[in-house]
Amino acid sequence: MDSPSLRELQQPLLEGTECETPAQKPGRHELGSPLREIAFAESLRGLQFLSPPLPSVSAGLGEPRPPDVEHPPRQQQQFSSLDDKPQFPGASAEFIDKLEFIQPNVISGIPIYRVMDRQGQIINPSEDPHLPKEKVLKLYKSMTLLNTMDRILYESQRQGRISFYMTNYGEEGTHVGSAAALDNTDLVFGQYREAGVLMYRDYPLELFMAQCYGNISDLGKGRQMPVHYGCKERHFVTISSPLATQIPQAVGAAYAAKRANANRVVICYFGEGAASEGDAHAGFNFAATLECPIIFFCRNNGYAISTPTSEQYRGDGIAARGPGYGIMSIRVDGNDVFAVYNATKEARRRAVAENQPFLIEAMTYRIGHHSTSDDSSAYRSVDEVNYWDKQDHPISRLRHYLLSQGWWDEEQEKAWRKQSRRKVMEAFEQAERKPKPNPNLLFSDVYQEMPAQLRKQQESLARHLQTYGEHYPLDHFDK
Amino acid sequence: MAVVAAAAGWLLRLRAAGAEGHWRRLPGAGLARGFLHPAATVEDAAQRRQVAHFTFQPDPEPREYALETQSPLPRNFEMGQTQKMNLFQSVTSALDNSLAKDPTAVIFGEDVAFGGVFRCTVGLRDKYGKDRVFNTPLCEQGIVGFGIGIAVTGATAIAEIQFADYIFPAFDQIVNEAAKYRYRSGDLFNCGSLTIRSPWGCVGHGALYHSQSPEAFFAHCPGIKVVIPRSPFQAKGLLLSCIEDKNPCIFFEPKILYRAAAEEVPIEPYNIPLSQAEVIQEGSDVTLVAWGTQVHVIREVASMAKEKLGVSCEVIDLRTIIPWDVDTICKSVIKTGRLLISHEAPLTGGFASEISSTVQEECFLNLEAPISRVCGYDTPFPHIFEPFYIPDKWKCYDALRKMINY
Repeated sequence: MDSPSLRELQQPLLEGTECETPAQKPGRHELGSPLREIAFAESLRGLQFLSPPLPSVSAGLGEPRPPDVEHPPRQQQQFSSLDDKPQFPGASAEFIDKLEFIQPNVISGIPIYRVMDRQGQIINPSEDPHLPKEKVLKLYKSMTLLNTMDRILYESQRQGRISFYMTNYGEEGTHVGSAAALDNTDLVFGQYREAGVLMYRDYPLELFMAQCYGNISDLGKGRQMPVHYGCKERHFVTISSPLATQIPQAVGAAYAAKRANANRVVICYFGEGAASEGDAHAGFNFAATLECPIIFFCRNNGYAISTPTSEQYRGDGIAARGPGYGIMSIRVDGNDVFAVYNATKEARRRAVAENQPFLIEAMTYRIGHHSTSDDSSAYRSVDEVNYWDKQDHPISRLRHYLLSQGWWDEEQEKAWRKQSRRKVMEAFEQAERKPKPNPNLLFSDVYQEMPAQLRKQQESLARHLQTYGEHYPLDHFDK
Repeated sequence: MAVVAAAAGWLLRLRAAGAEGHWRRLPGAGLARGFLHPAATVEDAAQRRQVAHFTFQPDPEPREYALETQSPLPRNFEMGQTQKMNLFQSVTSALDNSLAKDPTAVIFGEDVAFGGVFRCTVGLRDKYGKDRVFNTPLCEQGIVGFGIGIAVTGATAIAEIQFADYIFPAFDQIVNEAAKYRYRSGDLFNCGSLTIRSPWGCVGHGALYHSQSPEAFFAHCPGIKVVIPRSPFQAKGLLLSCIEDKNPCIFFEPKILYRAAAEEVPIEPYNIPLSQAEVIQEGSDVTLVAWGTQVHVIREVASMAKEKLGVSCEVIDLRTIIPWDVDTICKSVIKTGRLLISHEAPLTGGFASEISSTVQEECFLNLEAPISRVCGYDTPFPHIFEPFYIPDKWKCYDALRKMINY
């Protein structure tokens, strides 16, 4: 409908008018309480007549509150008719009289921060974090142990020992580089390809295996598919399969940490594919508007199962979205552990100090298949994969660095490979031997307390097994 | 101050299987009536908007319930100081009590800061601060996801979804995440301190997107609780129980009752147990079950049945949709042999079908007639046709009559 003219606005509203006032939009308003005409006319009188009247918030709501000092009601601001600056509440910007669309810049996108070159040499010495030897060795050993565990568990799925597995090949740098930059008590929300974070936090091999095997040692009580790890002690929230659901959750956790003055950051990992989900948009927007101490860490590894990034987005990746939300953003070389470390460290410091979100897009490459249910040769060339495996791998680059520092050599490499393989095999064999949890654990933890009807169902299964138990794999389960 | 208040007004706890404890109203508390009155002149009836299809009936005072409980509650305990409150005020009171008791509790959602589109949060931001009562961007999946995250840290999250009709973007977060958080993590993590509140049900002119009753969608989801009050007194006690419950809860508030229902409600906090249906009127011939606004409809149907047919109805308010109180309903049907369930939500797949199915399993030989469901039609909720759509007292009465004559 047409905006009312200035003259119309200056007339008091007719008594008993039934039609809607121009300022009252239909839709999600309080129902059953029409604006009282008199209250509306009263609010009208207080305005300068340049802007359209605002709906009267005092109609039907009882006593007016004292004005909110952070957000004074618009009608109290004085607008000079000589002032040509834009007055829109929605944007802080100047006028322009030239018609020009902003061209998205995808040819020359946000630059990629790195510290080491592909041969593990520091490029700019002032960016070298100068991490102590023990810490760099811990980074290296976490990545290589993870790699070894991945190989063995992938194989075990091929052999039918576990039902499913996802490897982390090529992305180990994103995990340990970021984990090393956090406090141990910083809460981690992951997607499913962040096992290196747990590895860096010394999650025992036994528990990785227990979850994959779903045996009695599994803290998750055998309820989820492999790689859905969780650890309360290490502040790693249990993984769930739906993508990006963790993003707004991480924001809520960060808000709670802020309120509690915990001096903790929350980090939220997700892939570039998950970043297409609505939950990602929701999380970014909430984090910015609610000023949450959170690090959004996007692993851009080039593929979401078979979908390449060219089919996932048309803009300049995920980092370019951050400024759209008002979020400090950076793009880093995810295969450069020091770059990941530096960016995460600085983001953490500022997120906690300033209560604002940070977005880190770590560029990397998914060397492995999406999972054991995937054969990626169906959609990408072996040459492409080999390039990354041989020419730009986070483990190789850090090894070169270690070698050049004199902190590592071929003998130690051989010994460590042997030792890590042995540790993994031991844990693996033990995990395989253990029984599965008691089937009663099928029924617990749905609620904190078991509802009566569910208890009846539990009893019904127990009775069923008494008669038909031979048809069920009870031998493998704890009695 | 709080200590004095606690001493003066009792913290009321209503527990125990299948029955409520005693409470006593302050003398002089009047019965509220529906605020809409019938059209004064017949010739205008066609042009005026329809009057409400129900009359809010507060529970008569003082109530004496049969006390079948092992709980050590005394028979007569005071509610302490009460105040006449309508439904939205009783919600405000519950939220006020919660934020006072629990320093971690926060309230958030669209437009809650200025008081909410239904005024449920009026005054709370001023009282508790902008870090505890705040607006979120317009994004239901974000609201619930954010709320889950707060709850995961152990803080109390009270999320508002502006209309139950808009809860669906949050369905994934509710069903796939909140409901399964404890189970999938082996109880390492949970979001039990999350409560989602949302206006619910028909309102006379809400049409497709301001009238829905989506409880059936969530009934199919183990891990959450779904609760619907019929009155301000029930609302405050049930909402407080939801907030304090260690499981994620959805609390649907019948929006048509926000102003239409008013009664004396204690100022101090008190709890009404979840997963306990309430027999609000005993009877011997037919069991009537409903929840929310519809409880008032079936109450009136019970009066009509008594007056016109000499039939004695047992009226039950289910209160918690899941986990639901199978025992109270079955016990009643075993006594009466006839069951009528009524809800505004569409018939097919509505929660009446779950009740009906369970009751026929448990009480088959006690049934004298098929179980009757009087529900909304299998259509979206219409605007101008609302008076024809809703399961009003005449439809319920007619179904009851057929059951009696079966």
